[in-house]
Amino acid sequence: MLTSSIRSVKFAFQSFGRNFWLSIITVSMLVLTLVTINLLLVLQIVASKAVSFAEERIEVSVYFFPAATEDKIKDASGYLRGLPQVRDVQVITADEALSRFKERHAADATILSALDEVGGSPFGPTLVIKAKSASDFPLILDALDNPQFRNDIREKDFSSYEDIVNRIKATTERVQLFGMGLAAVFLLIAILIVFNTVRIALFVHREEIAIMKLVGATNAFIRSPFLIECFLYSLFAVAIVAGIVFPAVAVIDPSMTTFFGGESVGLLSYFQANWYVVFGIQLAALTVINMVSTTLAMRKYLKV
Amino acid sequence: MIHFKNVIKTYPPNIVGIRNVNLHIRPGEFVSIVGQSGTGKSTLAKLMFAEETATSGQIAIGGWDITRISQHDVPLLRRQIGVVFQDFKLLPRKTVFENVAFALEVAGTPSRRIKEIVPQVLKIVNLHDKGDRYPKQLSGGEQQRVVVARSLVHRPKILVADEPTGNLDAIHTHEIIDLLKKINEFGTTVVLVTHNREVVNALKKRVILVDGGEIVSDVEEGRYKI
Repeated sequence: MLTSSIRSVKFAFQSFGRNFWLSIITVSMLVLTLVTINLLLVLQIVASKAVSFAEERIEVSVYFFPAATEDKIKDASGYLRGLPQVRDVQVITADEALSRFKERHAADATILSALDEVGGSPFGPTLVIKAKSASDFPLILDALDNPQFRNDIREKDFSSYEDIVNRIKATTERVQLFGMGLAAVFLLIAILIVFNTVRIALFVHREEIAIMKLVGATNAFIRSPFLIECFLYSLFAVAIVAGIVFPAVAVIDPSMTTFFGGESVGLLSYFQANWYVVFGIQLAALTVINMVSTTLAMRKYLKV
Repeated sequence: MIHFKNVIKTYPPNIVGIRNVNLHIRPGEFVSIVGQSGTGKSTLAKLMFAEETATSGQIAIGGWDITRISQHDVPLLRRQIGVVFQDFKLLPRKTVFENVAFALEVAGTPSRRIKEIVPQVLKIVNLHDKGDRYPKQLSGGEQQRVVVARSLVHRPKILVADEPTGNLDAIHTHEIIDLLKKINEFGTTVVLVTHNREVVNALKKRVILVDGGEIVSDVEEGRYKI
């Protein structure tokens, strides 16, 4: 058994070497397919980071009337903090709001003089609410509509980051859809190439196969080198892709960190932590697809 | 050793290969199957090593009913029957030694055993000094002796030779027939399919004449007569 297995591996390597250029083309197509799939994975990681980056910046400012009492503000912030959708609530008192306004418009004498005309603080207290997800804001805003707070609230200001999030999500989905289509096309071409590579290998070896059958080789022994050869295609393709993806990610990662204001996207660390899962799944899937393709080619062109 | 009972082989759409053949070849016999081209003698040989399957009837080899042999069992049968063809069927990129060893390799024989067996069979066919040559560096007779050596590595009980001298001149034909006789003397049953009159007449062994897919005569120590 062991002897036969070693011989099958030897025959597979021989076939790979004897049909070198054909093997190179097959592996290249598989590499293209896997590169596309890995690009999709990178895109997925970057997009989810972009979404969470934007979502972190979405906030709702709830402006209370200046007459609103401190207790009311405490109640409202306590109530909001109790909601599972709320990530953070920041309380800005009327005085803080005034000083911030003055700071922001320090260079604008007209506004400052107008403020002096009004006398005292025209601002009420403000609650700045951050949600766990952009989609949670409608629910949070609805929650503030309850009679306990409704009459004290002057205005709710919902920053327009939600549009950005939605646009990122929509663009990502479109790119992913295109990428999946591209990967499917590459995969189909790869399957056809593997199918034809095996057919050519069978044609090249037809004399050898006939003699093998004649001298008592089992069907499994005849088939196994072709199946091993397909595994070799998959293995080489995944190894080459890993060799491309790691340096590429290492180069991209710092630029991405800069883009997201110093916050790491974690691309490189993701691949470092999950390389065996990511490439293991790709190897397993590619091997299964190639073996199915090979078995079909053998069934049709090798009557064993 | 070899039993054919009412064996019929037809090919689509309705071409008769052999019809109603009854045959018994005993262990250790040397049998020549003769007849003109296209009379069914090669079909008869192919049925013996399951290259073809019978349309009806029964075939047994060494007590093993191979009439409906499964694909799984065909390799086991072929390791017990040596086969020699007219067109040699040698691998051109392998040396003589490697060609002979190939039959053992595909059967999973350990390399150590292969290194013991191959020189022995090459010595039987008198090619022990040409193990590292390639087929194209050999004469037709030598190539056929390599094929005989390859067919012997499994120590088969039966050797089927289908027109083994068809591509050879008189001298090489004589060499191959002598070799087959020698193998037969070691106890192997030899079935020789041929249309070579001189060979058959010189052998003075059992002759089965096939014509129109039927056995028309079966004579001990026969001669080639059509």
